[in-house]
Amino acid sequence: MSAPALTRSEAPKGRPSGKHAAGPPAGRRREDIARSIRRNLSAHGFLIGAVLCFGFFSWYPMVREFLLAFQKNKNGVTTWVGWRNFEQVINDPAFWQAWRNTLLFTALALVLGFALPFLVAVLLNEFRHAQGYLRLLVYLPVMLPPVASVLLFKYFYDPGHGLFNAILGSVGLPEPEWLQSTDTAMLSVVIAATWMNMGSATLIYLASLQGIPGELYEAADLDGAGLWRKIWHVTIPQTRLILSLMFLMQIIATMQVFVEPFLLTGGAGPEGSTTTVVYLIYQYAFNFNNYGAAAALGLMLLLLLAGVSGAYARLNRSSGE
Amino acid sequence: MAAIEARPRTLISPAQLGRRRGKVTYWIVFGLTMTVFTLVFLGPLYWMITGGLKSTAEVIQSPPTPYPKDPSPETYGDAWDRLNLAKLLGNTLYYAFGALAFQLVLCVAAAYSLSKLRPVLGNVILGMMLATLMIPATVLIVPQYLTVIDVPLFERNLANSPWAIWLPSVTNAFNIFLLKRFFDSIPQELLDAASMDGASRIRTLWSVILPISRPILGVVSIFAIVNVWKDFLWPLLTLPDPDKQTLNVGIYSLSTGVSENVLIAAMTIASIPTLLIFLIFQRNIMSGLTAGGLKG
Amino acid sequence: MRSSGFRRTWTTAAIAAAFALTAAACGTSSTDEGGGSDPGSDAGKPLDKKAKVTISIDCMPTKTKDDELKGWNRDIKAFKKLYPNVTIKGKATDPCLEPPRFTAMLKAKSQPDVFYAYFTDRQQILDNDAAQDITPYVNNKTVPALGDISGNVLNDLKSDDKLYGLPREHYSMGLLVNRKLFKKAGLDPDKPPTTWEEVRSASKKIAGLGGGVNGFGIYSATNQGGWHFTASVYSRGGSVVTPDGKKAAFNDDTGKAVLQQLKDMRFKDESMGKTQLLKWGDLQKQMVSDKLGMFLAAPDDLNMMAQQLDAEYSRFGMGPIPGQKYTLTGGDAYYVKKGISPEKTKAAIAWLNFRFLSQGKGRFDWPKIKTDGLPVGLPQPDFWTGETRKKDDAAREKDATVPVENFQAFRDNPVPGKTEPAKAQEVYKILDVAMSTVLTNKNADVDKLLDTAEQQVNQVLANG
Repeated sequence: MSAPALTRSEAPKGRPSGKHAAGPPAGRRREDIARSIRRNLSAHGFLIGAVLCFGFFSWYPMVREFLLAFQKNKNGVTTWVGWRNFEQVINDPAFWQAWRNTLLFTALALVLGFALPFLVAVLLNEFRHAQGYLRLLVYLPVMLPPVASVLLFKYFYDPGHGLFNAILGSVGLPEPEWLQSTDTAMLSVVIAATWMNMGSATLIYLASLQGIPGELYEAADLDGAGLWRKIWHVTIPQTRLILSLMFLMQIIATMQVFVEPFLLTGGAGPEGSTTTVVYLIYQYAFNFNNYGAAAALGLMLLLLLAGVSGAYARLNRSSGE
Repeated sequence: MAAIEARPRTLISPAQLGRRRGKVTYWIVFGLTMTVFTLVFLGPLYWMITGGLKSTAEVIQSPPTPYPKDPSPETYGDAWDRLNLAKLLGNTLYYAFGALAFQLVLCVAAAYSLSKLRPVLGNVILGMMLATLMIPATVLIVPQYLTVIDVPLFERNLANSPWAIWLPSVTNAFNIFLLKRFFDSIPQELLDAASMDGASRIRTLWSVILPISRPILGVVSIFAIVNVWKDFLWPLLTLPDPDKQTLNVGIYSLSTGVSENVLIAAMTIASIPTLLIFLIFQRNIMSGLTAGGLKG
Repeated sequence: MRSSGFRRTWTTAAIAAAFALTAAACGTSSTDEGGGSDPGSDAGKPLDKKAKVTISIDCMPTKTKDDELKGWNRDIKAFKKLYPNVTIKGKATDPCLEPPRFTAMLKAKSQPDVFYAYFTDRQQILDNDAAQDITPYVNNKTVPALGDISGNVLNDLKSDDKLYGLPREHYSMGLLVNRKLFKKAGLDPDKPPTTWEEVRSASKKIAGLGGGVNGFGIYSATNQGGWHFTASVYSRGGSVVTPDGKKAAFNDDTGKAVLQQLKDMRFKDESMGKTQLLKWGDLQKQMVSDKLGMFLAAPDDLNMMAQQLDAEYSRFGMGPIPGQKYTLTGGDAYYVKKGISPEKTKAAIAWLNFRFLSQGKGRFDWPKIKTDGLPVGLPQPDFWTGETRKKDDAAREKDATVPVENFQAFRDNPVPGKTEPAKAQEVYKILDVAMSTVLTNKNADVDKLLDTAEQQVNQVLANG
């Protein structure tokens, strides 16, 4: 128990004078309080800039999202409309389709965007040569402007003069329609998105792999464990924390996908097969001028993600004990 | 083979690799990976750079040509001129470095306060900040946008002004979290020593904490710049004036009205700045992502 | 100790104050423009030459439209001579309007003093209280050719008999053809197909040339699929919504014929290519690179192709819209921002008149436009009537650079115009799905698609 720690726990309370005669004299106490106020003032002074920014551009919009969802704005007049925005949104035939597409995208993105970087990281971690170069390669697309990357893929996917089908065709493989078919449009979007974004996840996994104590593998070797068993019993448990955190981050990130479908298929895609919830929000707000509906839909997505985060936190806590 | 002994133990045992079969397998897998990765990650860049050198007809020719038949570098000049890339580039740099300045000042101050000064309710504030990480930015884009075009209390419209990029960029809870984590690891004794010498808090921050924090500041700076550089929807909405657009948005807007080869050349040019940043600072970026990021 | 503590607090306060200052300085544009919008009694008088005003205006040609930019800059100079005290600040935009950007702009009230919009945006502009009633300012003195502007066009810019904008473009759609490919395929480029059956057979022939050439192209993304569906339905005599704007009207034989034919052309004939989900710009690019035979377009698509894609415009021609029952007409206009001063409003109208509405001047100064390198002789803009029309048509013909015969079929077969439906964007979004489906799914069920779309459009229209 060092002295500063004591003051810290005591000072903010600032209770009226102590009952015990053993307490510090009143004068010192007052000085303590004054110092604590000064200290707090200065501490909050350092905080105020960021807090104001958060207040205006993060916390207030969050509150506003709730309000907007129950309002309608016509000719500058705002009225409360209860659940009408929600009814309108749910009755939109694109509503369920957008949710299905978003979940499909999330699922595909998790298979590709979550598993692939991990496998790549495990692979790279084994290499004794050129690891730096390979890491650099994987991370390269993350640094490109997304518009450039996405348009690039749009050219590659073109069934007429695109690179992908030219390559597939030259080796006699079937040439899919990529973005041009309901069956493959979403997958194509996911592939592009994975290429663009897998670098960060790979590097993070790589770092956590390097933190695994070598003795664990040696012990597994002694038990005669094969490659897969070692991955299953050593690598994955040892990186569990990062994996689960990345899993959550990935879900949150993929649920809000926008740029990729927006630029690849114009947003809706063949038969509306790449219409995502966020694209629908965007259409409502900025093409139809209907902020109420946009907010109502946004609120649903927000609550769903809050639920996912909550479930994650709970799961993590119970398994962490 | 000396390298093998020096490395920490990983999945495959050195003994296994030392065997003949192990060696062969290793080199096959390694060679394959090198080829595939180079093709997958550098191939598209190659296609983009050479695409800008091809003629319009050649770009959309089927099957695609492996290299430009008759390279015309003037397409790059054409793209630079027609899409007004100098202006777009200037804008983007202005927004990115402005956002960086705001984040460095305000996020560092906040993280310092939360880590070392520990004000009342500090933890609550930190919690509220971190909570925003769990809420996807795009979900809030509508209310956030409505706020920016009519900021409450100040009654200002920030549309078309750089403030629309700069101020919201400060609400980067991840950066604050990174900085706070790093500051937490600085021993209290160092600060106590400084305050014994009568240094004010701002002085302590400036001459004790910041010098030690150079690595994390580098990481945060790069993230700050790259975030602005890569953002699309937000600048699309808040900077409708074409004179104020960012590279991403400008290229998107003009993409319908220029021929393919010019567009590809413009995409290449737009990719250069961040690629340069990456190649120059790759060590910082890599270490930032990993050590500072989620491990600590 | 004490003094250091004081200094600390002081520093903190300074930081806080500094932030407050920066925050207060944040706004660069104030929301309230001030200035009375009361036009006063002399609103109808032309602009006082001594008045010193600056007005901002968007949709100035970008550098990608270099040929048009020449004309703009020349007019700015000439206008400056006429009104030395008026400064026109142009904002280059391309495309001039993008729905999300436009919505954002109106919402933020950040539109320039004079702003560009499509005819169909009228309701949104009025809903946002974005434009002012310019009726008191517009008369035969301020806009001498006013009487010769088509009444239908002006009606598109009026609400409750109040005029809100002045026209810039007015077009009606036709069938743009690639003359080179027509000849190659053994078709007569001077006689583009006039029925949809002819379109289908011509498309088949052109696609038969091989080498990735498609016969016919159409949009199916970013709400433009709905736009072209609408144009196709009109051309066959159908409607998209009922005249009262309350119900969908496309779920009939006409709508079915449109979708069925596209599906057949895409999958049976394979004359439309595999790449779909196309939007504005894509078809123009395909045509310029001789990969496309025909698409529905307005005459000034050629403008875009000539100056932005460097196409030689004599290679293209235009016929009337196939079917010829009705053709989709539309246009764009400039509106004047609400709340700007009467002097500014007058300056705005003087500039609009000078550049966009004077026969023989500005954008109708054909001899100069010819030297700029833009095509002359296109049947667009198309809003003059009476004496002005006669003079302008003659002037266009005199300096025509587009071979007259290329557009003869279009000119000789005028098709009655029909404007876009109510709530166009929302209706188009729904129809986009039907369009993209028949063009990407060979098992698409046309009847079902139309049933679903009808239901959805009815819902949108009922939502008011």
